[in-house]
Amino acid sequence: MSKNERLALEFGATVIPHAVFLGVFLGLWEYAVRVGWLDSIFFGQPSGIASFLWANLIQSASLWKEMGWTVFGTFSSFVLGSIAAILTGLLFVMMPRLERFLDPYLTAFNAMPRIALVPLFILWFGLGVASKIAIGVTLTFFIVLSSTIAGMRGLNQDHVVLTRTLGARPAQMFAYVTLPGAIPVIFSGLRLGLLYAMLGVVGGEIIAAEHGLGQSLAYLGSTFNMNGVMALLLILSVLGMTVTGIMTYVEKRLLHWQ
Amino acid sequence: MAMVQRLQFPGETASIKSVGKPMSEDVAIEVQDLEVSFGNRKVIDGVSLQIPKEQLVSIVGPSGCGKTTVLNLLAGLVDVPRKGKLLVGNKSPRLGDDRIAYMLARDSLLPWRTTLQNACYGMQIRGVPAKLREERARDLLGRVGLAGFENVYPKQLSHGMRQRCALARTFALDAPYLLMDEPFGALDAQTKLTLEELLVELWQQERRTVMFITHDLAEAIAISDRVIVMSARPGRIAGNFAIDLPRPRNIRSLQKEPHFHELYAQIWGVLEDGWRHSDV
Ligand SMILES: Nc1ncnc2c1ncn2[C@@H]1O[C@H](COP(=O)(O)OP(=O)(O)OP(=O)(O)O)[C@@H](O)[C@H]1O
Ligand SMILES: [Mg+2]
Repeated sequence: MSKNERLALEFGATVIPHAVFLGVFLGLWEYAVRVGWLDSIFFGQPSGIASFLWANLIQSASLWKEMGWTVFGTFSSFVLGSIAAILTGLLFVMMPRLERFLDPYLTAFNAMPRIALVPLFILWFGLGVASKIAIGVTLTFFIVLSSTIAGMRGLNQDHVVLTRTLGARPAQMFAYVTLPGAIPVIFSGLRLGLLYAMLGVVGGEIIAAEHGLGQSLAYLGSTFNMNGVMALLLILSVLGMTVTGIMTYVEKRLLHWQ
Repeated sequence: MAMVQRLQFPGETASIKSVGKPMSEDVAIEVQDLEVSFGNRKVIDGVSLQIPKEQLVSIVGPSGCGKTTVLNLLAGLVDVPRKGKLLVGNKSPRLGDDRIAYMLARDSLLPWRTTLQNACYGMQIRGVPAKLREERARDLLGRVGLAGFENVYPKQLSHGMRQRCALARTFALDAPYLLMDEPFGALDAQTKLTLEELLVELWQQERRTVMFITHDLAEAIAISDRVIVMSARPGRIAGNFAIDLPRPRNIRSLQKEPHFHELYAQIWGVLEDGWRHSDV
């Protein structure tokens, strides 16, 4: 058997069961709606979802535009929140007393349900994307901060001792030991931080916004367009998976030594 | 005998005057009347020892007798009040002294660096130019039997190979004093023998002063010119033995030599004595 044949077989073995499962699931759903076991007002129906996607993703670009707003908001809050968190983490590792002092305040702030801040942020930053970015940042920041601190505190002490006996300057210690040693842990924080940035942005859009997938979702829900709601949930889930997929790829490239 | 000397802290560069008479020409590392306490507990009580230049000297002693503490003091790693005098090549210990190379039981390889990059690491920190350090690292990797593994990451190496790489990193440094804390303590018996042979071989190729700490008396006798025995806590010197086995030695066949066993029995007696008379 050639390599290609084997690959094709393997592919078939993994894909076919899923295709069968999904086919049966969607078929039953469609059937149940058509014979009246399920109410399409509450559950939508696969054919309706498909035609919604067709109309809004392919015939018109309306959903792409909304997605653009959501993605822009997500990435902006991710980047801003992560940079702020990594810098703060560095500062805390260098100044443990500052961290001890600020810890109760940070803990209290982090304990607050972030969505509760939306009214405040909308007042400060307006209905547009800025207020959504602000929410995303407050979520990403704490996750990345705690992983940055954990990563830099959890260094292998042998590496630190060896490097000290070699007479390393602080900058060398940072570049050769602290940073590379902390990156795997920081990355697990970044991965989660990205998902939370999206959560914050979409959550904010649902509450009050002019644009974005969350805003569309809220609108479709309020007009009882269940096919549209289901389609958007599907899109959000695919978006979330794409985003984590990108992170996994970057992580694999960067941490190939693991 | 142990007169009170002014406290010295690591990192302090004491002038020759303040450390008393300069040590004799052929002494590389000297410890005199060292007393160290952690809190109220005295862990080292009047240790004096001299390590002659270019010799390989082992220190053996029961766990907790302060071997690592002495070594770390010499490397300038611990900052603890103490009495007595410590000299490495006529100078007080200083952290990061580039005349010292330090090696631990665990290999301390950086997992994000390849074998070659790890072998270069010490030289890189100490500012050896890139081309020179690569040349030197390749040469040493060849000598420790890691040729062909230059571009491999540590996770792909066996335990023994990782410690070979650490040995290459240590010897690649242009440092006359090597401080080793049970470098082979975590290896299996066979690998240990191989690495002992390798250490002695490297040491014979380019003479350095080696202070080698171990739990393993057979290892100490097999590789050393001299074995210093410390007694259990608080650490004192219980004995100091010249090992007159001729060099080059075949470490694997020493087991068959009666004189090896005589030395072993003699030193073992002192080791056991030190264990019995400890106050723990
Ligand atoms: N930083 C420290 N604080 C308090 N006590 C310490 C510290 N470092 C070492 N000690 C104590 O000093 C004593 C000597 O420790 P050291 O590590 O030097 O022993 P050792 O001879 O190297 O033992 P082993 O053979 O187990 O490595 C021990 O009783 C240990 O508990
Ligand atoms: Mg020790």
